[in-house]
Amino acid sequence: MSASATAPIGSQILTLMAALMLVLQLFIIAQRRLLTNIRLFAIQSLLLAGIAAVVAFHHAANHVYLVAGLTLVGKVVLLPWLLTRLVYRIQIHQEIEPLLNAPSSMLIGGGLTLLGYVVARPFTSMERLGNNTLAIALALVLTGFFLTINRRKALTQVLALLTVENGVMLAAVALTTYGMPLVVELGIFFDVLVAVMVLAILVYRIRENFASMDTSKLNQLKG
Amino acid sequence: MSLLTPILIAPLLAGLLCLVVPSRRVMVALGVLAFATTLALGIALLHEVLARGVVTEWNGFLCADALSAWMVLLVSVVSFASALYAGPYFQRDIEAGMVSPARVREFYVLTPLFGAGMFMVVLANNLGVMWAAVEGTALSSVLLVALYNRRHSLEAAWKYVMLGSVGLALALLGTVFVYAAACKNAPDAVPSLNWSYLMSVAGGLDPHLLKLAFVFAFVGYGTKAGLAPMHTWLPDAHSEAPSPTSAMLSGVSLKIALYALLRFHILTAACLDSAFSRRLLLVFGLLSMLLAPPFILVQRNLKRLLAYSSLEHIGLICTAIGLNTPLTILGALMHMGYHALTKPVLFFAAGNIHQAFHALEFRRIGSGVAKVLPLTALWMGLAALAAIGLPPFGLFLSELTVLSGGLAAHETTVSALILIALVASFCGILQQFTRILLGTRRPDARPIETHRLDGAPAMILLLGALLLFSVWLPEPLLDLLRQAAAIIGGQP
Repeated sequence: MSASATAPIGSQILTLMAALMLVLQLFIIAQRRLLTNIRLFAIQSLLLAGIAAVVAFHHAANHVYLVAGLTLVGKVVLLPWLLTRLVYRIQIHQEIEPLLNAPSSMLIGGGLTLLGYVVARPFTSMERLGNNTLAIALALVLTGFFLTINRRKALTQVLALLTVENGVMLAAVALTTYGMPLVVELGIFFDVLVAVMVLAILVYRIRENFASMDTSKLNQLKG
Repeated sequence: MSLLTPILIAPLLAGLLCLVVPSRRVMVALGVLAFATTLALGIALLHEVLARGVVTEWNGFLCADALSAWMVLLVSVVSFASALYAGPYFQRDIEAGMVSPARVREFYVLTPLFGAGMFMVVLANNLGVMWAAVEGTALSSVLLVALYNRRHSLEAAWKYVMLGSVGLALALLGTVFVYAAACKNAPDAVPSLNWSYLMSVAGGLDPHLLKLAFVFAFVGYGTKAGLAPMHTWLPDAHSEAPSPTSAMLSGVSLKIALYALLRFHILTAACLDSAFSRRLLLVFGLLSMLLAPPFILVQRNLKRLLAYSSLEHIGLICTAIGLNTPLTILGALMHMGYHALTKPVLFFAAGNIHQAFHALEFRRIGSGVAKVLPLTALWMGLAALAAIGLPPFGLFLSELTVLSGGLAAHETTVSALILIALVASFCGILQQFTRILLGTRRPDARPIETHRLDGAPAMILLLGALLLFSVWLPEPLLDLLRQAAAIIGGQP
């Protein structure tokens, strides 16, 4: 029973990586530079890929390796590269300019994390591997939503949405034996890629038309 | 003979071909041809479903029951009409310099893909694949909303895509919870996320997880279906999109999101009892219905008014399903169909008015449209009468069915609220439309450009079908509706 022998170690590694994902999320909330933000997202996705790899190894499930590989290629390499290129191409100001300042954002982030733990409590018995991964996943989703509201610039809202997606994928790994079925994982992967491209096109056009990416200027349509 | 695969392939192929064909006329023909094909296949599917119950392909990856077959028919009809209308519409737009030919090609590529995405939603057996397809329809339609590249259309597109993505992330989380419930139910196996499998084990799934899943799916798909209070993207997107796209968004896209929501509702109802999910549908359906009339009454923009009317109709459909009696569910399904035939006509006519007056605000259109655009005003008037639920049009019939079903189930309060909302929007739409359509033109009103045909074929086709099916529902269609109602209401 090699699987049960590796279980505690695998479980600990997984818990550690999930916790690091949450720490990175809090960094993303606190820092103000756009390029740093993209890099932090890339590292967070790297941890997600690592988690998928641990799960794949533990259960000897080959298709989860593929999921880890897709995350690595898509979210660690391709998307950050695309977004960085977009940042240089439209030459935007580097400051993120959130609505709330860093301390109060951190406070809200902490509160939402707490909320995630409270909501996940009845379901902790369902986690296959690792501790509190569902709580972390929910915390990622909630803080991600907060980030989309807290940011003015179109591009930074896209990054916030991507962290929400990381949270959902972490929930999928935490709650199910082998992650989602492969065809679903593939579908989600391509959807995320296309979504970022569509969003990038829109960001580019908004920038051309408004000479700004500030979405608080998108306030003409009412009633 | 396979039916489901070609329904997906035909629009996909048309969309990809439009990337390379040189002439715009060919692009128009391809779009029309693709959806005519799916319409024919949809009718064949109807008979197949009636004969066999459930049609599956690719080892059960694709799966169609009566509910899917009904949605296939709706998507085909609306997309066909809007492809028919789009040809002359964009011709005039290009002549007026409103849009570049490259952008129009974008339209002809994306619209069939949008349609193919909707077919995938209703034909996918796997709930995860269904989610991916809904996301696909959102992504293909957002660029259509932004087609004119004006400031307002970009704003509308941005709101649409942000709210849609946030909503769909929640719906994905709901899907994950369903899968977690399936994993918990079968700890030693790799369970599938297939609808047919989940329904067969529904009784054994963890009720708490499924409740949580339904709440997430409800907020997620509810956002995409435009239920209040998550509807704020709806009037923006519907008013800023080109009219053929508005017709598809309002005519079917909302109902496709509702379809995805219904699948979760059926699953939850099969696991728990139906009380939990149906109450949510009822409350938010009523909220949408009651929220729409005030906005209709004070509306100053034609296409936004139509969008709020869609909000009201989708609310009625939701409420009727929430009432959960066989009669109301049948009424809801009929209402989906009649609304899909009516609303596109209104958007097409609004497109004509937009092109003639270069404005959508009532103030700038003025009164007496019937004097200068008599045919357009006629189509619009007829469709408006249908939309507010006057006989002999079918919406009267379906609204009456829902109301009598509600009263028969002793849901007096709900029925009264439905009636209040219907009457309020009746007055609102009637008042706004008589003001712009009838009356005399002000003598100092700007002269406008008129066109000869103004996309009449598409509108005549839809109105003709509406009148025909209002007085005569063919027996196979009625059987299909009864079967679909039985699926939503739980198998008797």
